[in-house]
Amino acid sequence: MLRSAVKFVLIAEAFSVATYALGWWAVPLLALLCGLTIKPDGKPVIYATICAVAGWFMLLVLDAARGPLGEVASRFGGVMGFPPAALFVTTLLFSGLLAWSASSIGVAVRRKMVRPQEVVLADA
Amino acid sequence: MRAGVAAVLLAALLFTGFRSIGQLPPLGGLLDPANGVWATARTADLPAVENGTIPGLGKQVQVLFDDRGVPHIFASTEEDAYRALGYVMARDRLFQMEMQTLAATGRLTEWVGAKAIDADRRTRSLGLPWGAERKYAAYDKSSLGYRSMTAYADGVNAWIGSMKRQDMPIEFRLLRVAPFKWEPIYSVNFFARMALTLAYNDASLNRLAAQAKVGRAAADALFPVNSPIQEPIQPNGLNAPRYDLATIPAPGTPDSSATLALTARRTVLAAFGVTKRNADGDAIGSNNWAVSPKRTAGGHALLAGDPHLDLTLPSIWYEMHIVVPGQLDVAGVGFPGVPGVVIGFNRDVAWTFTNTGSDVNDYYTEAVDDPSQPSRYRVDGAWRPLQKRVEIYRDPLGAVIRTDTMYFTHRGPMTKVAGSWISMRWTAYERSSENENFLKAGRARNANQWLDAMSTFIAPAQNGLVADRSGNIAIRSVGHYPVRPGDGRGDLIRDGSSSASDWLGYLPLSKYPFSMNPAQGYLASANQQPVDPRVNPSYMGSDWYSPWRAIRINDLLRTDSAVTPDAMRKFQTDPGSARADAFVPMFLAAAAHEDSLGRSDATLREAAALLAQWDRRYTRTNRRAVLFEKAVLELASRTWDELSAPPAKKGTAIPVEYPESQILYELMQTPNSPWWDDRRTQGVTEDRDAILAASLRAALVTARKLYGDPKSDGWLWSNVQHANIYHLARIPAFSVLGIPVQGGPSTLSPSDTAGKQGPSWRMVVELGPNVKAWATYPGGQSGNPASPRYADRLKLWENGQLAPVLFPKTQAELDRTKRVISTLTLTPR
Repeated sequence: MLRSAVKFVLIAEAFSVATYALGWWAVPLLALLCGLTIKPDGKPVIYATICAVAGWFMLLVLDAARGPLGEVASRFGGVMGFPPAALFVTTLLFSGLLAWSASSIGVAVRRKMVRPQEVVLADA
Repeated sequence: MRAGVAAVLLAALLFTGFRSIGQLPPLGGLLDPANGVWATARTADLPAVENGTIPGLGKQVQVLFDDRGVPHIFASTEEDAYRALGYVMARDRLFQMEMQTLAATGRLTEWVGAKAIDADRRTRSLGLPWGAERKYAAYDKSSLGYRSMTAYADGVNAWIGSMKRQDMPIEFRLLRVAPFKWEPIYSVNFFARMALTLAYNDASLNRLAAQAKVGRAAADALFPVNSPIQEPIQPNGLNAPRYDLATIPAPGTPDSSATLALTARRTVLAAFGVTKRNADGDAIGSNNWAVSPKRTAGGHALLAGDPHLDLTLPSIWYEMHIVVPGQLDVAGVGFPGVPGVVIGFNRDVAWTFTNTGSDVNDYYTEAVDDPSQPSRYRVDGAWRPLQKRVEIYRDPLGAVIRTDTMYFTHRGPMTKVAGSWISMRWTAYERSSENENFLKAGRARNANQWLDAMSTFIAPAQNGLVADRSGNIAIRSVGHYPVRPGDGRGDLIRDGSSSASDWLGYLPLSKYPFSMNPAQGYLASANQQPVDPRVNPSYMGSDWYSPWRAIRINDLLRTDSAVTPDAMRKFQTDPGSARADAFVPMFLAAAAHEDSLGRSDATLREAAALLAQWDRRYTRTNRRAVLFEKAVLELASRTWDELSAPPAKKGTAIPVEYPESQILYELMQTPNSPWWDDRRTQGVTEDRDAILAASLRAALVTARKLYGDPKSDGWLWSNVQHANIYHLARIPAFSVLGIPVQGGPSTLSPSDTAGKQGPSWRMVVELGPNVKAWATYPGGQSGNPASPRYADRLKLWENGQLAPVLFPKTQAELDRTKRVISTLTLTPR
């Protein structure tokens, strides 16, 4: 349980740091990596999706701690024709969907790569 | 299956992440919480402590921001102060500075592509960038003006160079462009743009259009050079308005030669890209006034500044305080993009401006060697070379989207109009150094020094008002006024092949409208005709705003012999109207007269009763101002129907703007003038009272239809008159619209129906032993729409309130106020 929690925090933190350092496109990159490297029974898609959302949420919390995030939501929601709350939801949804889709592809690729070896082992 | 769905979704998300869809920018960069739109929250407020570096800085500069967001810059030299100013202005207003620059240089296509090509071509056709380059090249490199612009550019570029991703103003992200390097010349470009806003008008268009319809005699009376009501800026000693009301000639026969002249003039203006109409003198306008110590409660001179300009967010002004010990201690507002204070005060002097609105541009038909590709033009029989300049327009990627070849004579830009080459001369092209005038004005120790500093100012001509701590008050309409050959007026297209057509020079300073310490004990300007033609007949123009605001402020100042700073503040939003005082009794008398003749009805009687209830004040809670305004509109359209296009020919006929309301007042003196007859009523010849009554009756019908029952809230002035403050890039979410304001046409706080112009800065200064000032403007110091300082002053402004301005002599004094919210230390790089 503790191990899972630590793993969750670390991955979420990785999404935050990668976004900060590289930009938004680090999310699908990191999620793809999750899909490729985390074993299927480790639920890579769920981890990547939730951690990406959590990572961006942490960044939003940091923004909120340093400035008027509500005002930003109100002003820029207006630009996009969204109510303020919808801009928050859209932001988190964007990262979540990026992570879900990229990690799903990662998992599929991993399956293709590792399946022959598993078959041989089963026969043995 | 799941992998397929994921692949499609990922592709779609990456596409919307990287590419814009319609007006929406790429979502990835926008929603990114670390570097996108959310990150602007982190830079929305000022950090408590911050450090920065600027190349070229001589010594460390301390910038302390007070709780109004105003930087107090403490520097060792003026140049260091302007470096610091460039840095903080860029930090607060970078998008505004750069957008204004692109507009002033005709380079908007570099941000928004081909859709801005027409606007850019207009800017360049008018020669604005060319004129600015000429001025900049002529600057003395050792002058204060040049050094200040260079130092300011250092500061702006230091900020741009040190910006982190989250510092990038949101507008750059939305437009997907990056800030460009700031050049010192951009400050000159800004003044060129201001000249277009304030010093380019053409009163002859209306006169010619009227002449084409009703003949010259009537047209000259409807659009006169001199106002029939004189309450001039330079007091004429009468201590009351002078009414010089003449009989307006009856509508005459249409003048076909005027139609041709008008067509030619319109074509010329279109070729130069001038599309702006002359301002409605009832709906907009700036005010300033100063009171001598003998008429103030505190025994100190008082000065009020109230320049009216386009209302935008961020505001056109930026407030600052600059201290260079022993040299400069000046506070007030300046333009983002320009170093220094333009309107403000120092320890001894306070000053402000209103626009003079003089006639300072002319057109010339040029004789060229080759009409298709000219290289020379002829003057007095000799060929002179044309200056050629290729204008290149680029898109955001740098690709050339158009080139134009422009030609210039010694007069200015030349353009081809219906087969002829026409050049334009304009004072805005003359070599000048406006920013140096302002910087030197900021150093003045008394009113005379201030007047000296502004004596070489060229354009846009301004009614400069100054008061000092010794109790002096003075006003001078500073700027250059061309002296022309012939009738001296500027409404002809002149023969460019003769140097005799050129300007003979400029009006000497001694002939400028001027007054210092007049016996009346106060001075006031409101864009009215600056000098009574009986006192000084020199032609300076004819497009003067209506005199009602001038009458009102003079009236307020005449009746108050112990003026206080708070009274000055209240005057700025005074809801009274000299125009209403003039016209309401006439409507009521006409209604009574019609009643006595048995020509009244229930609607007219009700309308008259409602109008009689009006206190002639445009307060937000007033329910009768709407009726008067509708009645005035009806009156104008019924009276000036001879100038309107016949319904069947609308669209093809010559549009004529109606004469200003003072002309309508002048016509009131002739109750049986043929102008009163409404041509739409066959077989009836109306007189003045019949038209006044019909207008009032129609006004009630219209107002009831639009606003409901006269007792209802629909008639509240606050439901009718609003200020609409748009973001510079017209982004609705960054704009504040529909602000109910006090004031109406011809009040001291006038506003047009669109509500896009209004008081851009309100200031009151008391010049006692310690100078005290109160001020505000519609907006806030920050250009970041998410900042609490973006529009924090709006409420104060809306309610006609002013905030005390902090004016500490030292950092320690400022610290003691406990109102410092941020400290920026700038050090040499």
